[in-house]
Amino acid sequence: MSDDAEPVARRDPERAPTYTSWLRGLSDTELGALFIVRPDLVNPVPAGIAALAARATAKPTVVRALDRLDRFSLQVLEGLLALGDPLFSGPPAGTDRAALAAALDVRGPLLDTTLDRLRTAALVWDDGGTLRPISVLRGILDRPAGLGPPLVALLSVQSLERLNRLAADLGLSAGYADGDPAARIASELTRRSRLDALLAEAGESARPVLDRLVWGPSHGSVTNARREVSLASAASPIDRLLALGLIVATDEHTVALPREVALHLRGGRLFSRTASIPPRLDGPAHDLASAGRAAAGQAFTVVRVVEELLEDWAGNPPGVLRNGGLGVRDLRRAARTLDTDEPTAAVLLEITYAAGLIAADGEVDGEWLPTGEYDIWRAHGPARRWVWLAEAWLRSPRVASLSGQKDARGRARNVLGEGLERRSAPETRLDVLRALARASEATAPTPEAVAEYLAWLRPRRQGTAFADLVRGTLDEAATLGLTGRGVLVPYARALLPERNAGAAAPTGAEGAAAASLLASQLPEPLDHFLLQGDLTAVAPGPLLPPLARELALAADVESTGGATVYRFSAASVRRALDAGRGADELVGLLERHSTTPVPQPLRYLVTDVARRHGRLRVGTASSYLRCDDPAVLDELLSDRRAADLLLFPLAPTVIASRLNRPVLLDRLTELGYHAVPEATDGTMQLNRPETRRAAARASVSELAEPDPPGPELRAAAVRAIRAGDEAATAVRHPIDSPDAEQPRSPVAATTAALAAAAAEGRRVWIGYLDTEGIAGSSIVEPAKVDGGFLTAYDTTRAAVRRFAVHRITGVASLGGEPASS
Amino acid sequence: MSGPLIVQSDKTLLLEVDHELAAECRRAIAPFAELERAPEHMHTYRVTPLALWNARAAGHDAEQVVDAFVKYSRYPVPHSLLVDIAETMDRYGRLRLLAHPVHGLVLNALDQAVLEEVVRARKIKPMLGERVEPDTVPVHPSERGNLKQALLKLGWPAEDLAGYVDGEAHPIELAQDGWELRGYQREAAESFDAGGSGVVVLPCGAGKTIVGAAAMALAGATTLILVTNTVSVHQWRSELLRRTSLTEDEIGEYSGTRKEIRPVTIATYQVMAARRKGVHTHLELFEARDWGLVVYDEVHLLPAPIFRMTADLQARRRLGLTATLVREDGREGDVFSLIGPKRYDAPWKEMENQGWIAPADCVEVRVTLTESERLAYATADPGERYRFCASTDAKTEVVRELVRRHEDEQVLVIGSYIDQLDEVGAALDAPVIKGETRVGERERLFDAFRSGELRTLVVSKVANFSIDLPEAAVAIQISGSFGSRQEEAQRLGRVLRPKSDGRAARFYAVVARDTLDQDYAAHRQRFLAEQGYAYRIADADDVVAGREV
Repeated sequence: MSDDAEPVARRDPERAPTYTSWLRGLSDTELGALFIVRPDLVNPVPAGIAALAARATAKPTVVRALDRLDRFSLQVLEGLLALGDPLFSGPPAGTDRAALAAALDVRGPLLDTTLDRLRTAALVWDDGGTLRPISVLRGILDRPAGLGPPLVALLSVQSLERLNRLAADLGLSAGYADGDPAARIASELTRRSRLDALLAEAGESARPVLDRLVWGPSHGSVTNARREVSLASAASPIDRLLALGLIVATDEHTVALPREVALHLRGGRLFSRTASIPPRLDGPAHDLASAGRAAAGQAFTVVRVVEELLEDWAGNPPGVLRNGGLGVRDLRRAARTLDTDEPTAAVLLEITYAAGLIAADGEVDGEWLPTGEYDIWRAHGPARRWVWLAEAWLRSPRVASLSGQKDARGRARNVLGEGLERRSAPETRLDVLRALARASEATAPTPEAVAEYLAWLRPRRQGTAFADLVRGTLDEAATLGLTGRGVLVPYARALLPERNAGAAAPTGAEGAAAASLLASQLPEPLDHFLLQGDLTAVAPGPLLPPLARELALAADVESTGGATVYRFSAASVRRALDAGRGADELVGLLERHSTTPVPQPLRYLVTDVARRHGRLRVGTASSYLRCDDPAVLDELLSDRRAADLLLFPLAPTVIASRLNRPVLLDRLTELGYHAVPEATDGTMQLNRPETRRAAARASVSELAEPDPPGPELRAAAVRAIRAGDEAATAVRHPIDSPDAEQPRSPVAATTAALAAAAAEGRRVWIGYLDTEGIAGSSIVEPAKVDGGFLTAYDTTRAAVRRFAVHRITGVASLGGEPASS
Repeated sequence: MSGPLIVQSDKTLLLEVDHELAAECRRAIAPFAELERAPEHMHTYRVTPLALWNARAAGHDAEQVVDAFVKYSRYPVPHSLLVDIAETMDRYGRLRLLAHPVHGLVLNALDQAVLEEVVRARKIKPMLGERVEPDTVPVHPSERGNLKQALLKLGWPAEDLAGYVDGEAHPIELAQDGWELRGYQREAAESFDAGGSGVVVLPCGAGKTIVGAAAMALAGATTLILVTNTVSVHQWRSELLRRTSLTEDEIGEYSGTRKEIRPVTIATYQVMAARRKGVHTHLELFEARDWGLVVYDEVHLLPAPIFRMTADLQARRRLGLTATLVREDGREGDVFSLIGPKRYDAPWKEMENQGWIAPADCVEVRVTLTESERLAYATADPGERYRFCASTDAKTEVVRELVRRHEDEQVLVIGSYIDQLDEVGAALDAPVIKGETRVGERERLFDAFRSGELRTLVVSKVANFSIDLPEAAVAIQISGSFGSRQEEAQRLGRVLRPKSDGRAARFYAVVARDTLDQDYAAHRQRFLAEQGYAYRIADADDVVAGREV
């Protein structure tokens, strides 16, 4: 636990300010801002300010916060540590703004806005005019600005013998008589004039050694680093530097250049180049309109092929692998359906999964099926459907490009399977898109430029995995239609949340804006098509969904894309009739919606099929065939090819068969007699295949970072922390037992005190035992006391609660509000 | 948002014919997209790698293709499709076949990485010699065709710039007496001549033979012409005699019955592909003379053995003629690599507008079998079922009525069953020409028909192959199933030529309802409709009752 956090917090203006007291002094708005940039601090809500301080200085969350800093912010923070932590123990003393600005060599408001951001993130706090970094940073950024440890830290671990010799060489008194020798030597070496003199004394030959260490790394290897040296016996430049304390041994083989010496040699500058300006995002310029059209075309294609795939899966679902993923062969099949290659198919499948449109059905031999949410998705227009997918992609921690690779244990990772999650994926995607958005409109930044910019933006995230993620994000953004010809198009820009608006993830507002921008680029759904003499129907754009379903029932889809081509055949028309459509109904539909006259051969096709459809009916009793037209049955009976149907006539209009019904049906169809099954009551049994759905929506891994809390959540968290803090730090005035004549139990006194508080609208602090017998305390505003229960607004929990009076162990008035008895 | 073009995800393009920009758009996409179907409202073009490479060979670049998409497309074109097209087009011409002054035939690469990839391919390695320069590797001359084929399969089609042998010179002149080379025919011949080798695509009836003759005149060399069958041999022969300075003695026929080798020799694919004891016995024809030009008629029907032989003919100029680059066996790639890229493609619709070709008006007349006929049909032996339904008596009545309706026009009745033809002939009181009809009688009847003295003629299947079959304004087909769809179109085109007064020809097919006859008719219907012919169905009862159909 860091010493920034006070173990016992008390509000005491006399005491020296601490991190905790600084936190307590922040306004509600400032606390809210902290929770935006570090959402993990209120997840769960800490009990009070002290707990918040402890959590805000815990290493994991600080590391997470540092990972989000750009290179310049990190340099500022390192500068604060380098300048403001000369003792290397206890809370860093901090430094002032002017010294920092000089050492960083930056001017203007940039430093202040950066410091504000660090303060907002509670990594740096104000102590009067001093900026103090939190002490946990010392361990994380252990070589700030490439500087070694401060002199005191280096010297305090040296042997007394060494210190005495060093003191002697520097002309200082030895031993502990005049205080800590390490501190004494350190303060001597920190004087500029003295340092210059010592450097001169070390001589020109020592310069190359110092030059190698000055801009880092601050440590160097030397044989026998802990050698016995004195100025008198020094033979080499290293000997001289050691003897003068200009470099200090840290172990047998290593020497370090002390922080103060290095800074002096650097001329007081922390960095040779301060990265205050992010790299430019350059690339070829494109026509924004054509880029927008290309992206919108891609977006429309994605929405369409996803629907096609899921329609296919509904009827013909692929199996779930034992490890939960999708098999390679099924992926290949999906790629064919999606009309793309396998890596792209993997991306689309993962997005579909993240969007909750598919899930593994929970049976023993599981299958991947569309979910109920798919039906909701499908009810939307194409623009909203796209936004649904794009938002799911932005938020998903799953990285499709990891599929096909081997994991640490050498097992292949499958699409939709385990091991594809990367915690940083959503943030990286947002970073990449924001980088594209930073580039001027219609510019397509090159992948190299984007990588360089991200290296500046997230200096602590670099590595091949990160580079792959960035590259993959650019590819996936193009696949999904967020970019066209490398340009982030306007509707995709609209999808990006404002950086500090309180939510890193898109909210409904962004989605709606993006959808309406996209919708203006997408084709309008049509209510008409063209019919042609070759028995095709061409819908020159997306059809209204009900019309598309009707048409797909009566005709086979031959090609899709901007338009849809349907082909009518006897089989397809029969399918519509089987689904209960009548011939007149079908022709009527075509006449209503066709912009061209219904070709005469098409009318013939429909009436021809209808004429023969349902003319024969088959029963199950012992399997029979009946027909109102005896000639048909005669024809069938005398058909040589039907000999194996084992038919025998029952009546002029009825034939029975010894075959079972399905076999008989199949065989009749083969022979070209299209019979329909008949139910026991003599009606035709018509059916069409049911589409299938998974029972529940997918539980996509919740590995992701918690989302930044929204305004209400933040306000509630601030309120709860404040209340908890108040409860922990309240000055209490216990109620005296009333000295009445007749004996009164403490319960009666409690009741009276609570009733009085309720009447006066005062807040009181109560202790109570809960039903488990565990003691707790709350600050409450009593509303009423009756029936042995206290009803009160519990400010700690921000809710109205009921307490059993007999469980209340004590009542105290709050400071400044004297108890009435 | 109102362009005439819609891009489909399977890389087909739909062109709305009635759109005001349709003609302009058609010109823009024709270089890189093949017309697949041309029904009345929406034409379908297909963009294939071959089509894109054809465009590249003709000097178009990816930017032009993308521009055409962006300019004419009604909807945004998916980015991935544009990228795919640009990448595919870019693959052509990275590798080139050149004639090197020192090393002879070489494979030269503009992109060395591509060369590295292909020289490592197992199939290609044996065709190449030792690398002479980082970007150049010699090729065994005999492998010129095989190498191109193999490279195409790898997706890196090579541009063949190695040139051709001149062959034995033989002057050929076009004899333009009373006729003239049409504009598009001249263009086709000239762009072939400029390209050296390749394919000319012209619709049926556009005069492909004349383009062949013009190309021969430009080449001025001995020519080997390969055609599909004997009928074509005779057609080519008579056309060449009519259109060029060639005399009977200069033209040889090399077929099953005759084996003449002359400066211009016409051979059938069949005889070339014939084998005895596993050996192609007529292979020597290719070596018989130093041919300056090889013409492949109906290149979409070129059989596999001819491809193999053609692979060895890569140093000679080759002209492919066809109505379509689409092959039913999917070997379009072999045509591209062995014959050559597309050199000329005429806009079908424009030729129709100019009146060079005319669509026919097709009517299917359906007769209903009587109840006893249906029973007999059901019990018929499978091999006899078609014959039974196709030659139903009910058809005779319909034919009589149709002939009556067109009594002022030349009507051909075509069928395949002699009994049926005799019956119809008797009913119409018209002469019947069948296999046993003597040549003299046949010629007399044909002459009478041509002169208009005879209005109606009933002909059997033999007429299909008879080259001097007179043209007619009306054809009535009463029986006979056809083989492939292209064959049907050719036969139809042969009977029905554009009329001088611009009237559409009429084609009736009389079929029996609910039988195999009708099933075959459905195939015909689809094909004719896709070719842009109007197609209607009529009931025999309506026809007989005299109602308009």
